[in-house]
Amino acid sequence: MRAVLLVAAREFRQVIGTRGFWVMLLVVPLALAVSGFASSKLAPQRTSAYTIVDKSGRFAPEIDRRLELGYQQNALHRISEYVARWNLAAVDPQAPWANPQAWLSDSEVERFAASGGAEGAVARLRPHVPPGAAKLEVPERYFIAVPPPAAVQTDKGPEAFGEGIAATLQTDAVTPKGKFPYALAVYIPQNYGQPGATARIWTSGRPDTGLLGELRDDLTSALRRQMLERSGMPAEAAAQVQASVAPIAVSEPPPGKGRSVIATRSIVPIALVYLLMLTAITTGSMMLQGLVEERSNKLIESVLACIKPDALMQGKLLGLGAVGMAIIAVWAGCAAGAAFAFHGVTADILRPSLEAIDSGWLVLAMLFYFVSGYLILSIVFLAIGSVSDSIQDAQSYLSPVLMLVMIPVIIMMQAALRGPDELIVQVLSWIPFYTPFAMLARLGTGVSWPEIAGTSVLLLVFMAIELVFLGRLFRASLLGAGKPAWREIFAKIRSPEAGR
Amino acid sequence: MSEPVISFERVTKRFGDLTAVDELSFAVPAGGIFGFLGGNGAGKTTSLRMALDILAPTSGAIRVLGAAPSRENAAAIGFLPEERGLYRRMTVLDTIVYFARLKRMEAGAARKAALQLLERLDLADRAKTPVVKLSKGLAQKVQVATALVNSPRLLLLDEPFSGLDPVNQGVLEELVSEAAQGGATVIFSTHVMQHAERLCDRLLLLAKGRKAFEGTQEEARQALPSRLTLTARSDPAALPGVAEAIELASPEPGWRSFDVKLQPGMIPGSVLEHCTTHAFPLREFNVRAPSLHEVFIHFVGAEKETAS
Repeated sequence: MRAVLLVAAREFRQVIGTRGFWVMLLVVPLALAVSGFASSKLAPQRTSAYTIVDKSGRFAPEIDRRLELGYQQNALHRISEYVARWNLAAVDPQAPWANPQAWLSDSEVERFAASGGAEGAVARLRPHVPPGAAKLEVPERYFIAVPPPAAVQTDKGPEAFGEGIAATLQTDAVTPKGKFPYALAVYIPQNYGQPGATARIWTSGRPDTGLLGELRDDLTSALRRQMLERSGMPAEAAAQVQASVAPIAVSEPPPGKGRSVIATRSIVPIALVYLLMLTAITTGSMMLQGLVEERSNKLIESVLACIKPDALMQGKLLGLGAVGMAIIAVWAGCAAGAAFAFHGVTADILRPSLEAIDSGWLVLAMLFYFVSGYLILSIVFLAIGSVSDSIQDAQSYLSPVLMLVMIPVIIMMQAALRGPDELIVQVLSWIPFYTPFAMLARLGTGVSWPEIAGTSVLLLVFMAIELVFLGRLFRASLLGAGKPAWREIFAKIRSPEAGR
Repeated sequence: MSEPVISFERVTKRFGDLTAVDELSFAVPAGGIFGFLGGNGAGKTTSLRMALDILAPTSGAIRVLGAAPSRENAAAIGFLPEERGLYRRMTVLDTIVYFARLKRMEAGAARKAALQLLERLDLADRAKTPVVKLSKGLAQKVQVATALVNSPRLLLLDEPFSGLDPVNQGVLEELVSEAAQGGATVIFSTHVMQHAERLCDRLLLLAKGRKAFEGTQEEARQALPSRLTLTARSDPAALPGVAEAIELASPEPGWRSFDVKLQPGMIPGSVLEHCTTHAFPLREFNVRAPSLHEVFIHFVGAEKETAS
């Protein structure tokens, strides 16, 4: 054991002494930080401005009203989610935002808007936000109406307006809430609604399709109402027809249940599968490089004069295993730190996923599958290193092995997100080489204990066999030279006396 | 008599169809320097690897320091393999300490011994230098230090002089001699006879995995027919005990010089006695002891002939 620990310590120190290790260690947290920063600070602005010139005077107010109502509906939805998440319904149980389904009802949305809308709700709730909760902010507006610039002629017909507004559409609209890119400008002629009259729309070249759709719907709606009125229907009745909405009641599974939760609860396990693959391949490559160096510059014989090949192999596995665990610890620490420091969406996604891992045994099972997967791949890397004189030699063995690992695992991970009972996930769970990956991916969504026990036993047997057979190859190839043919490799694996 | 440091008893090692070591028996007494001589593929490295338990014999028995070969002996053994290499990114000191620790030395003792050795080898100022920054000669010295750091009772050196320039060969010869004077038994394999001639007390000559000779240098030389340089008035070929006489350039008129090879077992003194008692005039009678190179050619060449 002493020799194993000495080798492990040397391997560990050698790897952490390289620049490559530190670059790799820092790349993931750095990438997380950069992507977080980029998504929060550098993401393209979602709010855009629009201008309406309504020569008829009949449509613009209606369009503005409906866009405002759409905004309030979206704001109510988001605020009611926040209220449910942080248990704030007790602040005012009668408020629209205390009911998670209120946003589905137009009357509730109107009541919400009438009672101060998003700004009013946020002002009311803010004093009651518990410490540590995500920041409560007024949801941003996607569309802001701005008057046409003074220099643009609006009285000389659509063509003149279009000519004048074209350059303006390529600039930002300055509003009291800041500068926003123009999305489009609308010109509604005085006779709009009569045959042949058309509302003209000019865009910046990158129109907001949502706004375009909304405008068309609103104009259509207003037009229909006027047609109904012209056909003799009383104005009030026409408005009621236009305002009528098919009554629906949406029933959702309670929070934490249902199909959508499969994806949420699988986040941590799937992330572990990615981490497993990433760290096993990265540290495996380091181990392989070290072994190729030892073998090619012949220092292996000096080492073997002092310790047994088995101790050398175990020491390498342990040392590189420690490197892998250190990487995982740092990355996981950074992810958890970031999640809890920023309280944002990441934390909200992670939390239910972590809540799914609610038993000590489940954590133990995850650890077991993770370590097993790491060992299975590391032994393969070690065996490849033991038969390679150069990195080029190693690559020729490594490429098919990596394909064999990565392709099924990537397919399996996508399947695991659809559900734990997908056929490929079930099948791979019982193929020991893939068991750690498949079982890790499924653990978050519930796997029966007999299945965990069965796959674990099979996995242990496979690891023992792998250790014996690839251990023979390792022993037999350490002092060899050149790149052996596959036939020779299989002969060494078969012979119990190989290398002795 | 004390137990041999290493003994091989009818040891054979086969790799598939190839017999690398064939029924080899020999014993190395404690103390002194023992030469393991043989050409390429003679079985020297395989024999050393078996003594170190890196390889297991196919048959036969090996004893090393009174026990079967095992890593348990590592603390008492120093080993310098034929093909050398070190961890390139490790420092000189860390490298030596690492090998000392693998040989079961405690951390403190290992570091102390390593620093003392670096001082002796004139490498103290390079203790913190990564191996990759050393010249080849200095790296070789570091490798020697990894073999000596545990003050071994048994030092096994496989072709220690290969790849070294003459200056470093001299340094290594000194270190080997010092180790032997310090009480270690040194066994080194080589196919360069000059080193063996200068250093070895006893020799084992291997040819194609078999023992061709074992004994002292003197005994090895005696096993070869003696050679004489003889200047006489007439051809000495007919003298009793003479196997062959090749005439060389004549030194002066009336006298002829010959390179004379005696029959196996014939003592040069007997030829001289015959000359004096039978009025065979001589102006020169020089006995030339065979060199180790000749001994080597004699034994290995003889086997070649037998084999063919």
